[in-house]
Amino acid sequence: MKIKVKLYTILEKYAKGKVLENNTIILQKDTTIQGLSHYLNIPDNIGIVFLVNDSLQDKEYRLHERDGVKIFSFIGGG
Amino acid sequence: MDSLYGYFGKQLRVSLDSKEILKENIDASILRKYLGGVGYAARVLYDEIPKGINPLLPENKLMFITSPLTTNRIPGGGSIMLCFKSPLTNTWGESRCGGDFGPNLKSAGYDALIIEGKSDHPVFLVIDDDHVFIRSAKHLIGKKITEKIKIIRDELKDPKISVSCIGPAGEKLVKIANVMFEGRAAGRGGVGAVMGSKNLIGVAVKGSHQTPIAQPEKLTETIKTCLKILRENDFATNLKKHGTTGDMAANDAAGDWPTKNWHSNSWGKAEQLYYRFFNKHLVKNHGCYTGCPIACGRISEVREGRFKTPVHEGSEYESLSAFTAFVFNENIEAAIQATYLCNEFGIDTISAGAIIAFTMECYENGILKKEEVGGIDLSWGNPDALPELVQMISLREGIGDMLAEGVKIASEKLGRGSGKYAIHGKGLEAPAHDPRSGKVLGITYGTANRGMCHIHPLEGMAYDSGKMDWGLMKYGVPDPNTIDRWDEKGKGKIVKILQDALILPDILNTCKFFIYCGIYIDHLAELLSAVTGWNIDGQELLKIGERVINLQRLFNMREGFRRDDDLLPERMKKKPAFGFYKNEGRCAIKDFEGMLDEYYKARGWDVKTGIPTKEKLLELELEE
Repeated sequence: MKIKVKLYTILEKYAKGKVLENNTIILQKDTTIQGLSHYLNIPDNIGIVFLVNDSLQDKEYRLHERDGVKIFSFIGGG
Repeated sequence: MDSLYGYFGKQLRVSLDSKEILKENIDASILRKYLGGVGYAARVLYDEIPKGINPLLPENKLMFITSPLTTNRIPGGGSIMLCFKSPLTNTWGESRCGGDFGPNLKSAGYDALIIEGKSDHPVFLVIDDDHVFIRSAKHLIGKKITEKIKIIRDELKDPKISVSCIGPAGEKLVKIANVMFEGRAAGRGGVGAVMGSKNLIGVAVKGSHQTPIAQPEKLTETIKTCLKILRENDFATNLKKHGTTGDMAANDAAGDWPTKNWHSNSWGKAEQLYYRFFNKHLVKNHGCYTGCPIACGRISEVREGRFKTPVHEGSEYESLSAFTAFVFNENIEAAIQATYLCNEFGIDTISAGAIIAFTMECYENGILKKEEVGGIDLSWGNPDALPELVQMISLREGIGDMLAEGVKIASEKLGRGSGKYAIHGKGLEAPAHDPRSGKVLGITYGTANRGMCHIHPLEGMAYDSGKMDWGLMKYGVPDPNTIDRWDEKGKGKIVKILQDALILPDILNTCKFFIYCGIYIDHLAELLSAVTGWNIDGQELLKIGERVINLQRLFNMREGFRRDDDLLPERMKKKPAFGFYKNEGRCAIKDFEGMLDEYYKARGWDVKTGIPTKEKLLELELEE
């Protein structure tokens, strides 16, 4: 299935070589957010939040065709 | 006496009423116990500021303090701490600013500068090594920051001398007035009003001395190690590219973006706002002090339109959040301009945004009418209201005169049920982080010694939601990846250690972001040991951190603060009214008192009153 993925700020580097032009990515059907995170090699030990179609979702959420995923690392603001 | 390294062992004491300038020796044993920065200042001001004084009268004192690490060479070393009794909160007051001022004060040969009394006319102080003098500042009154700095530099015929000054707001004793150090601010707590109350309009400093170093080769090696860590650190790379402002979208998604005067902890607008800023208005990044290897500062510009600004430094996370999310404003250009105006008039952007949000909510609920607010439409999100109110607060015009007192006093003066819209802790307006994203922040908000502060000493949510351990697991902090951000039990004990550690950059005058980028307290201990020749490790640093937190707490206790003042506003504890987390019951804070009980026990403070026990004070060598 094809979904859109956008990685922000400190996570931008994980898109390299994995996320295609137009922020798309091809995944197996029924991939969860956890599966996506592992595919992108995002470490498990940093604070991450996922929005799918601009709604908050947890790692067990199963992705669907044409979903739009935004992945943020939240740290602080200063 | 043994040689003192890392210090000159001297401080300047300037009495503005008599114009007497003293160069005093500092007791080395005090430096060993308190090191510098907010630590040394806590000792001095606890001993010298009488209980119960009005912070805007001459009895208050204002300190500018350095530390052994205050030098551009040391990663994060370019900063100055200002300490005082706060006119906004009547608590312990401290405010930090990055830049070359601190290193220049140090290289002038002074570890600290103490300002006392009040001049009979406006003055500015010049420190040029041993040559210290006072000049009239009558010609500076009413001028904004950029113009003041230029005039001072032209008068001294030195375009590079470090200058700090207050703006018109400090002159008018606005209680959220800041002290500007060129483009950056010692923002919080009303320090600009303290300076204004003394008729001290500015301080200019330069120096030529080198701080004596005990182990120069060890220092060089340790600095190299730190720089390597920074080069390889993703957070440092991110800060350079996106600044703190880049966290807006992440914090919004994380429920860490207080919105519409705390009705919610998220909005869903931060991404578009941030990227409009990044793509259209960011000019370049900027290091606040010469040689900063991170350089997270933002140089911004709004080139055209009604919110036009010149190229200027500003637009940090807190400032833009205060003028967008706090006030429900979707016009980023208005937010950028409001920040710029705050810097020019000399007021704290966080408090200004919070005060405007309070005013908008009063207006929405009919507590304030249009004719009472100068005819301004204070509907939520009206961008045109921002520059108007920033000016009115800064110059105490119309309703601005009441708002200039801060939300706590403004709501007390206004009455009409406005108290529930005043979101503050001990009088300090709440910043742009939300404990509904991670409850460690709830405890740190409630207990921070300068009032509701996110960064002095600790951005608590960075631990339980950001999963940062700051190298503290070896000192007893649990792995944050084993902690649920919304748990309440167990957080009090963790906060005690985190605060003891994260106050250390404020004691050592180093930029706190360097700890975020992997320069942990063990590295600070190595740097400090190399500079001073003292054999200090992380454990001792934590003890000093604990000592200083307790001494600052004693300052507040002496002023009458108790457990009842360690609170969170009710709205901050509730489930958000809208946004990503409106259906997430776990983010509400259910048992703040239970968290506080646990924290006090971990601290060794009386659970009923919040006062440090005699046993704890003896342990910390803080006998009364």
